[in-house]
Amino acid sequence: MMRYLILGIGLVLFFMEPVFGLFSPLKLDGEYYYIVPRFLIMFLIFVSVYFDTKHAMYYGLFFGLLYDVFFIDIIGLYSFLYPAICVVAGYTVKTVQRNLFVATLLTLVLTALFEFVLYQFFTLISLTDVPADTFLATRLWPTMIANSLFLFVLGWAFKSVIVGRLIEREKNPSAY
Amino acid sequence: MFHFFSNKRLILLLLGVILLVALISFSLRDRDNVSLPEQLIKDGVGAGQMVFSGPAHFVTGIFDNVDSLLNTYQENKYLKSRLEEFAGVQSEVTGLRSENEELKALVGKKADMRDYNPIQATVIARNPDQWEEKVIINKGSSSGVLENMAVMTAQGLIGKVTLTTPFTSTVELISTQDPNYRVSAMVIGGKKDVFGLIEGYDSERRELLLKRIDADIDIKEGQQVVSSGLGGIFPKGIIIGEITEVAIDEFGLTKLAYIKPAAEFSLLNHVVIADRVMPEVDGEDNGETAEEDAP
Repeated sequence: MMRYLILGIGLVLFFMEPVFGLFSPLKLDGEYYYIVPRFLIMFLIFVSVYFDTKHAMYYGLFFGLLYDVFFIDIIGLYSFLYPAICVVAGYTVKTVQRNLFVATLLTLVLTALFEFVLYQFFTLISLTDVPADTFLATRLWPTMIANSLFLFVLGWAFKSVIVGRLIEREKNPSAY
Repeated sequence: MFHFFSNKRLILLLLGVILLVALISFSLRDRDNVSLPEQLIKDGVGAGQMVFSGPAHFVTGIFDNVDSLLNTYQENKYLKSRLEEFAGVQSEVTGLRSENEELKALVGKKADMRDYNPIQATVIARNPDQWEEKVIINKGSSSGVLENMAVMTAQGLIGKVTLTTPFTSTVELISTQDPNYRVSAMVIGGKKDVFGLIEGYDSERRELLLKRIDADIDIKEGQQVVSSGLGGIFPKGIIIGEITEVAIDEFGLTKLAYIKPAAEFSLLNHVVIADRVMPEVDGEDNGETAEEDAP
């Protein structure tokens, strides 16, 4: 059952992102702050760290493709970046100790990197003309703060679900 | 690390990158219609998305209600002061309306660019990464939504439809940075209506740019800007916003005005798509209508 749980959580997170996106931009003191929900990629990084990079890549490709087609109509952007981030996470975690703190930190760093790469891409195709310092102040920081809150609350739950799936696979390798 | 870049993987990686660049450049082109697999994915994801956006709108609705309850006293005071004005305005409107009807009958003018059939829709998702200003709504070509139709809220124009599938459509908001995004507009409230094009968005001032206004024509701050309907698809008279500053454009030939949009772009919920009654001209409502006759 755990097998479908990971995909299920991924789907729920995928559908929750745009719903939270409706609340943004947030207006505080006359200043607008953009909060981009990045729940799915954070979950995929957790899958990559605790479970299996290959699976995380497949999930990343699947959800990235959905994301590309449904939201941004540029096919190949998220469907490349999601798996790429998972690969980086998988390789990094081999060199460091695997615990919840490291996983959380790694996830946040990679999410920030992800956000930055996207910013660079959209600047490149001139869809945005936001200067780098405005990007940092009104987008990256609010996004990272909101997403880290999400991760601190739900990170342990992600971990227990994924580890549960791992144990299930080790118990019953023939079904895999 | 060395192991990672073994020959086979390197080739795969290269092929992947080539495929990626090809796909991106394919989808970055201005495409007229969506391919079938894309339509299927869009409709499928859209159906799932509706399940999630329903409860979310319910919750935000509660917050909105509480918010308006808190402001009741002030709002009531303000509304009372406007009420006296309103009676006068209403009798004037009734008079003007009947006069307008009579005059129209007199000259035999049947269709009006102002008339449109509203299509009610709900926003089911907003592009979460918010680089492109796009929202997805739950009505598509099966409900009669066509590309380039105007989308508005009760407050004013918010954008136009860029892509449709049978059950969803993508709306690009007017706060986009897309250089090809234009809306033909006019300034009202002066002696004569002044025509221009809404072109571009100043993301720092959060205001729209109205360009290509004749330099000789005088426009002032505070005048209202509405859609002109001359682009061929939008109905006439949808409120866009209010002029906040008038400047000379970069070449010094035409004027440029900053416009504060009348509609709020965050927390969009219910929107109306305007299906113009007058025949639509094959164009993009960007000031350049095509040569062909109306369909």
